[in-house]
Amino acid sequence: MGGTNGETLQGLVDQFQSETDINANLVFQDSYEGVLTNTLSALDSGEVPDVFQIDSLFAQQVLDTDAVEPVENLLSDNYPVDDFLSNVTSFFTIDDTLTSMPFNNSNAILYYNRSAFKEAGLDPDSPPTTLEEVRSYSQTLVDEGVTEAGLTWPNHVWFVEHFYSVDGQTLLDAENGHAGQPTTMQTDNSTARSLYEWWHEMADNGLFSNPGIEAWGEATSTFLTGKAAMLMTSTASVTGIRSGAEENGFEVDNAFYPTIDGDRTGPVIGGASWFVPSGLPQERQDDIGSFLEFMGRPESQITWHKGTGYYPIRQSAVEQLENDGWFAENPMYRTAFDQLTQAESTPATKRMLIGPARQVQTTIQDMSVELFSGDVSVDEGLSELKSAVEDELDRYYS
Amino acid sequence: MLGSLLTALTAAAERSRSAGRTTSERIRRFETEQLTLHVLAATIVFLIILPVLIAALVSTKRAGIVTSIGDLAPGGHALSNYRRALIGLEFWRFMLNSFLMSVAVVVGKLVVSLLAALVIVYYRFPYKNAVFLFILFTLLLPVPVRFVPLYRLTTELGMSNTFFAITVPYLASATTVFILRQHFLSIPASLVETAKVDGVGPLRFLWSVLVPMSRAVLVGVSVIMFVYTWNQYLWPLVIINAESLQVAQVGLSLLRGQASTGEVAWSMVMTGSMLTLLPPLALLVLFRRQLLETFTIQQK
Amino acid sequence: MSTREVFTDRLQAGVLLLPTMVVSLVFLYYPTVRAVGLSLYRASLARGDVFVGLENYRRLASSSEYLRSVLISVLFAACVVVGVMAVALCVSFLIHEIDVGKGVYLVAVIWPYALPPAVAGLVFLFIAHPNIGIFTSYIEAFGVDVNWFSNGPQAFVVVLIAAVWKQVGYNVIFMTAALGNVPESLTETAELDGVSRTRRLLRVYVPIISPTLVFLVIMNTIYGFFGTFAMVDLMTKGGPAGATNILIYDLYRTAFQFYEFGFASAKSVVLFVAVGLLMYGQFRLSDRYAYYGG
Repeated sequence: MGGTNGETLQGLVDQFQSETDINANLVFQDSYEGVLTNTLSALDSGEVPDVFQIDSLFAQQVLDTDAVEPVENLLSDNYPVDDFLSNVTSFFTIDDTLTSMPFNNSNAILYYNRSAFKEAGLDPDSPPTTLEEVRSYSQTLVDEGVTEAGLTWPNHVWFVEHFYSVDGQTLLDAENGHAGQPTTMQTDNSTARSLYEWWHEMADNGLFSNPGIEAWGEATSTFLTGKAAMLMTSTASVTGIRSGAEENGFEVDNAFYPTIDGDRTGPVIGGASWFVPSGLPQERQDDIGSFLEFMGRPESQITWHKGTGYYPIRQSAVEQLENDGWFAENPMYRTAFDQLTQAESTPATKRMLIGPARQVQTTIQDMSVELFSGDVSVDEGLSELKSAVEDELDRYYS
Repeated sequence: MLGSLLTALTAAAERSRSAGRTTSERIRRFETEQLTLHVLAATIVFLIILPVLIAALVSTKRAGIVTSIGDLAPGGHALSNYRRALIGLEFWRFMLNSFLMSVAVVVGKLVVSLLAALVIVYYRFPYKNAVFLFILFTLLLPVPVRFVPLYRLTTELGMSNTFFAITVPYLASATTVFILRQHFLSIPASLVETAKVDGVGPLRFLWSVLVPMSRAVLVGVSVIMFVYTWNQYLWPLVIINAESLQVAQVGLSLLRGQASTGEVAWSMVMTGSMLTLLPPLALLVLFRRQLLETFTIQQK
Repeated sequence: MSTREVFTDRLQAGVLLLPTMVVSLVFLYYPTVRAVGLSLYRASLARGDVFVGLENYRRLASSSEYLRSVLISVLFAACVVVGVMAVALCVSFLIHEIDVGKGVYLVAVIWPYALPPAVAGLVFLFIAHPNIGIFTSYIEAFGVDVNWFSNGPQAFVVVLIAAVWKQVGYNVIFMTAALGNVPESLTETAELDGVSRTRRLLRVYVPIISPTLVFLVIMNTIYGFFGTFAMVDLMTKGGPAGATNILIYDLYRTAFQFYEFGFASAKSVVLFVAVGLLMYGQFRLSDRYAYYGG
């Protein structure tokens, strides 16, 4: 949570401190991975922070330490947990207990350059919705010489997860890890094949611009400098992208994440939640409970949403924003939220819950490079990917 | 290519040497040679500096998304960028931590290594060579090889996230002991013999005789150690969590993480980079003479 | 040398040596020993250690990825050593031959050595990024397709260039110092005899500064294996497809991203043995080829 997101967060914390007289200290890390390392080693050594913000990808790993207290136990009895968006809480609820407190949640959406579309003769009001449309739009953009490439996105496993969930396909078995220990990655299906064939074709024809592994900033830069006309990234960047587009002199807009072939189930959840270690004294727990409740307040959620782009997770917050006309004035901020509420809730849209998250993440990301560069054939690559993921899962769980 | 260029140059020079032997002609040819050498050296050196120059230029810009040479014109935001980095993003604290850490390590290492070198050179006791080898052998144990258990050890000692953790593990230095030993060996033995006869103790000998005679080497070695410690990335990354204790190198990656979310401009990352570069660079430039003297020792 | 050993108080000696010995033991030797021990376990964070004997090593031996990483590391280090020394030798020689302004060139060349490795990687990434790099479009004008995010060999070369660039300054300092020690008379004789510069460099100077060169080979090898970590971390993260996955990076990732500490320890042991053997070999070779003395 750096930069302006960090500033917004700090603002909320300061507000909490002034309202409740409880001391709260934020310690920033450079990435979610950094927070995870520090958290796990803190738990290992016994020197724990009171609350830590963990990305949803690493939730299972933290849970596996058996050292966290379900946040439900810290919230006051009449706290309106039902007011939270159900798609959100369902991910963080295990065995009917809310284990961590959702805070900043997001999903991935498609940003596109309206000015570039117009220049290439494409209708800026009807952005592409399927892989095929993305491809043909890209082809037009490049052929007309408007941009160097059609589309870019950071090579992070989150996007592969989105492609799967939007297509209603679970990425792993055991309902993406929510119904037991996952053992394999589902690659023997049309989702995987269509995705990677498309990805390879795009890369081959110079329509896809590869910014690097987990290269969020580089992907955004590629889009903002006009090298690519479309960008897939988190809704959390909407504020930054809007002002970046302004600076670079083009009109930007966003749309739902593209589907594989037209059928849309829903996005996976992204973003993080607050975890609390177990074994803290009661008084501390009470303080932490207040903190969590404060962060989950509709007012806090509204402030947070407006400052960042993460969607608000309280129903009442959403209603308030609608009544205030915020969404009408800032349609780009609702896209991710709409994508969420219009989604079906199936195992496929629940983000995977796995222990060896980083290993599987790295495996998928690395193999994706080989697949879209054409170093292996799609069939070969997919089966290699499958067995590599199986190895990681096997090793962790055995 | 360079070789054949030099050969061609020399061949031309030799030919002309046999052709015209008047002094003025020779001087002119000599000057031409020198000029060519300068051009060659300047080109190579320019290529070497280029990346850093670019970093410096970008650090003066506003957004820092530079995609062509044309964008390289210096921006006017140098002052605001540096101020933001130092104060707004608290880079001054990282620099301070790095500075404290490096100074502590340099001083500590100097003292410890001086004592060790003193013993190795001027004492007699059994198994001395084994001790020397014991110290030297640690060269084969760089941080990456031991940092997993080192991490656990430090955490178990309850020392993780402390100033202690980023200074003490660096205090034993085989290279420093080695360099000091070589240097001491070059000091005439008569000096220490006289000292012994005069009843001067080892520590006084060290302080009053050896140290003054080793000024250049001590400075050189200190600079090397400072640069080495200042540039440490991996160990502080792993052992320090608190932002208030973090060193500049890792602070830089914090900046980069922020830039990745698009929240901080890339030019800020370059600003941070330049800031991180300045202290070691300044030292190297200021003390290059001593450095050269120190490095000559290696010949023996 | 023995005439210098005037002090004989063993207790004193012990006390003076104590700090060095204690720190070496506690923070250098002990962790290494523990690393060997840890390599026999499956250990992670907050999950409890499990003894698994030699399984980690078996896994290493049968992992084609790991063997590939070993080969890449060796190749990389070799290229670094050769590249750095060749360039540094040329530059040092040029500086030596130049009459005026030696100091200026020397200072200019020292920059990369002062540069934090993380910054070096970052700057190179900025310059040569396949999409948004500053020089990328110009390089592509020469017909070279810049795509080192997907092209393994190209990634290797790019990281290699960054690594070599960074280390040249360090080598130049040593070589210049050494060349400066070469007696003027030797240079004059060579010039009078009409020996070309190149031959003078290769046949006369190089043998004379060979002790320094030996020292540099060793230091560059250590650098090639360990010092290039930041560059890989910032530029390629070991990719694509392991093309730049040098052992030290692989080790870091196993330990601090995958939290497989036992496995990582096994890797450190292998790394340590490999580098140790390499340096021993270099020492032996140097005894044969280096020319010491007057």
